[in-house]
Amino acid sequence: MEFLLENILNLVGFLVGLAIGIMSYVGFRNTGSPTLFRLTIAFFSISIGFFVIWTGYMVEDFVTKSGTIERWIQTLGIAIQTVGYFFIAFSHSIKSFFPKSSYFRSVGIIPLFLVSSVQLEHIFRSVSFILLVYGAIETMLSYLENRNKGAISVSVGLGLLALGEFLGWYSFVFPDSILYPASMIIKIGGLVALFIPVSKVPLTKIKFDEDFE
Amino acid sequence: MAEYRTHMKIIGDILETTRDDLQDGDGASVTYLIRKANISHSRISAILKTLVSQGLLEKVDNQGSNKYKISQPGREFLQAYNKFTNFADNFGLSI
Repeated sequence: MEFLLENILNLVGFLVGLAIGIMSYVGFRNTGSPTLFRLTIAFFSISIGFFVIWTGYMVEDFVTKSGTIERWIQTLGIAIQTVGYFFIAFSHSIKSFFPKSSYFRSVGIIPLFLVSSVQLEHIFRSVSFILLVYGAIETMLSYLENRNKGAISVSVGLGLLALGEFLGWYSFVFPDSILYPASMIIKIGGLVALFIPVSKVPLTKIKFDEDFE
Repeated sequence: MAEYRTHMKIIGDILETTRDDLQDGDGASVTYLIRKANISHSRISAILKTLVSQGLLEKVDNQGSNKYKISQPGREFLQAYNKFTNFADNFGLSI
């Protein structure tokens, strides 16, 4: 069951990240916007991160047959995803200049409680959690300003990814509980929520302009 | 409170002005663009120079005064700009 969920999660993550990344890249090529460039890096990183973990599971299943994914592959995939989450949060921090943001400072102390060991995977998961929470809050604040309904879906998506990341981390405490499968289902829901508004952006008549730099 | 505009937003405003608010068929004057896009003369001069060099605007010499018209690539850029503004809005960001 967990293997199936892992495969679905990583494949959905790979495809959603790739789709949004390509759309951001098309936007960057057509407008030269630095924001769209940052989104391109963010979603390509997220996509590659999920793909690395999916590859790890495939190698384990068909080659090594060790019964568990190589820890370093999982850590590498999560680290690459964290880079992606960083660029989403970074785009917001440029907009709002985060040192003035009191709620960012308030969630900044969470790693002290979350990081229980020096294992890199735990650190990356907690950093991802903070970045996702920050992105979700900023996107929701943006919705309150602009009333763009797509922002609700993206905010919920980032929030669900954050919750999934937290439960995934917390499942280390209760390894055989329902927490880990639940975290994967929640993250799949988050990825779908992220993709909903993006799928509604019409891309007809948008093309690469070779002359415009 | 005044809204902060990114460089990209200012370019979008200038192109939209030249597309939608043409005073006549000859294009928009710099003074008109300064008023409509709400930007200083020194800043708009640099932006107009860039937009003309990129082929997004056409400079028209009209009885000794320079006027600016949006070009076909400019219209295509504006279309892409509007679509990807909505795309970035979904993420709570401005392009």
